[in-house]
Amino acid sequence: MAPRNRDDNFMDVDSDSDISMLGDVEHRGKGKGKGKTTDKRKKDKGKAKAKEQAYTWEASYTRSWDTVQEDEAGSLQGAVEDLMARGRRRRLLAPAAAIRRAIIRHLVLLLDLSAAMMDRDMRPTRFDLMLQYAKEFVVEWFDQNPLGQIGVVGMRAGIGERIGEMSGNPQDVLKCLSDRTRLEPTGEPSLQNAIEMARSSMSHLPTHSSREILIIFGSLTTCDPGNIHDTLDACVKNKIRISVVALAAEMKISRDLCDKTGGQFGVAMNEGHFKDILFELVPPPAQRAVVRAGGPGANPAADLMMMGFPTRLPDSSPPSLCACHSDMKNEGFLCPRCMAKVCDVPTDCDICGLMIVSSPHLARSYHHLFPVKPYEAVTSMEGESESTVACHACARMFSTSASTAATSEGISPWGRYRCPDCHNDFCTECDVFVHDVIHCCPGCGK
Amino acid sequence: MEKASHLSVIVDLSPTQWHLSAQTSNQYPLSIETFLSQLLAFLNAHIASKHENSLVVFGALPGKSVLLYSSTELLSDDAPSLDANSYLPFKLVDSTVVQRIMNEFDAIGELEEEPPCALVGAVTKALCYINRITHPSSTMPGVAEDPSIVHDPRILILSVSPDLSSSYIPIMNAIFSAQKLKVTIDVCKVYGPDTVFLQQAAHLTNGSYIYLERRDALLQYLIMSFLSPTSIRKILAVPKQDKIDFRAACFCHKNIVDIGFVCSVCLSSTHYLYCFVTKF
Repeated sequence: MAPRNRDDNFMDVDSDSDISMLGDVEHRGKGKGKGKTTDKRKKDKGKAKAKEQAYTWEASYTRSWDTVQEDEAGSLQGAVEDLMARGRRRRLLAPAAAIRRAIIRHLVLLLDLSAAMMDRDMRPTRFDLMLQYAKEFVVEWFDQNPLGQIGVVGMRAGIGERIGEMSGNPQDVLKCLSDRTRLEPTGEPSLQNAIEMARSSMSHLPTHSSREILIIFGSLTTCDPGNIHDTLDACVKNKIRISVVALAAEMKISRDLCDKTGGQFGVAMNEGHFKDILFELVPPPAQRAVVRAGGPGANPAADLMMMGFPTRLPDSSPPSLCACHSDMKNEGFLCPRCMAKVCDVPTDCDICGLMIVSSPHLARSYHHLFPVKPYEAVTSMEGESESTVACHACARMFSTSASTAATSEGISPWGRYRCPDCHNDFCTECDVFVHDVIHCCPGCGK
Repeated sequence: MEKASHLSVIVDLSPTQWHLSAQTSNQYPLSIETFLSQLLAFLNAHIASKHENSLVVFGALPGKSVLLYSSTELLSDDAPSLDANSYLPFKLVDSTVVQRIMNEFDAIGELEEEPPCALVGAVTKALCYINRITHPSSTMPGVAEDPSIVHDPRILILSVSPDLSSSYIPIMNAIFSAQKLKVTIDVCKVYGPDTVFLQQAAHLTNGSYIYLERRDALLQYLIMSFLSPTSIRKILAVPKQDKIDFRAACFCHKNIVDIGFVCSVCLSSTHYLYCFVTKF
């Protein structure tokens, strides 16, 4: 435990002012091993010369090995398993708090694609780091908000650029983020243009859904065609919540955008902090007002929202005018109540006010309601002479001899896992796949 | 066709529906014997189009689903006798599929009421199978580039039964996992009314849903629409379904509704659908 404590001290010191740090480091240099001492001195010299705050990246760089502890035998196995178990436990603990949150979220991810994103103060560059974290963010976000939709807009060369349409499919969003060459940063960013574009893509959304804009902003300037405060007022009026993650420094306008619309503002200090403040925006924001749905759903006590499930018209259907934009279009969705044609779902019907959602949007979250029962590990093969030879799901043959590896609780030596309802045997891989992905037992079909 | 493709065929084998389909009062009666012979020709075409193509056939029978044929492992012990006039892989598929379907039909005893077809079970099995062949690394670490890894797996559902509204949730779960695995689900509705769930399945996974108007031309439909792998479908302009019904099943009566009520009290992402009957 002793070395760990010392390092904790060290960490505090590092973020302190450099005067106290210099003294402290010297003092510690003596206490540590010989090899380290020279290293430290070299660093001290550099620090003394530069007379500036330690680079932020050093903070995470120097101590990454300290978090891993070897066990008695010098193996890291225990540490790795502990890390994994902790990750799993974190997932289990997550949904404990019961706050009413926004149900259907719509988020436009505004990415800064200006020349400022090529800065290397975050490794490898701000741009690469942003893309990487944005992808992780999208995966995590869809995991927690299955009904949500994300659109992507870029700020580049003074204009807003639509990179990805509003989509509920994480693969679509990831695909438009993964095309790195198409997103190459150039020019100045324009907050106003990009926010206007994001705002227009969310104007058709129903009133019950939350509209959010998340801006990842690396530049210190914005190049706008008009008054950005008008845009800000329009966003407040449309109840769009703007959150900003700034990579460089705090700007008055970005702070204003967040404060007036009720979003969160953060300036990333380093890579880890960037990820932290980005991922703070993953859980749905708590809802402040009563859900206002069209029609009888407005009663807060009943809290049932009337929803219609539309019929989609094909691209080949005869063109007709849509109710929302009065455009001549082939494809569209028919409101089940008034048969009016709307362009996109989810939305409120412009004629009768019914909320129109496509049922797959709702169904995406059903598996939380009906989880598959955990399979039991088969630990003894006695009295099962006529049992099946292959996995019930993927037809992989089971091994006939028990594995001699260390058997712990919940692991079958034959690799067989049995559904408590239909008593079929499944292999390890299918067990994991059924519970993590399909959420439906192949044997009993529920 | 540069890369090997995988095809999982799910055949709906509901005896009642096939009996109805074979009735001569239909405009185009189709008996299961004719259906099978046309299906086998299609399966042979898939095997013949590329040597590495893999094929799995599942049957959805009343109350259970079975694996009828798998190209990766031999299920039946007795290999068919060699015949100088037939290509061995074809003969293997044909005899195995027919033999097993007949065995399963024989096993169905006299029942008062036929349980619904286990279509969901067959779809989830097909997904498990695809998961197994697309991720072989976990069983054999160190194999870098296995040529047998398939690139665009497909599932073709040949459906004759109507929608089973109680299976709405499992079907949707299966569709979403197919989306995650990037599996295309094609649906060919051979007999009976349109099924809402399978339409959605095809729509959400970029597959095509085709309702057979001329059932006597089954083989032509199969070959023209479902034989090509997804990578070349863009060029071929494979027919897609014209109209998609986005209705859902309510939680109280399992009715398919087009206007329902959704509860917003449950935690962030849980919704119960109630149909009109309970509300008013």
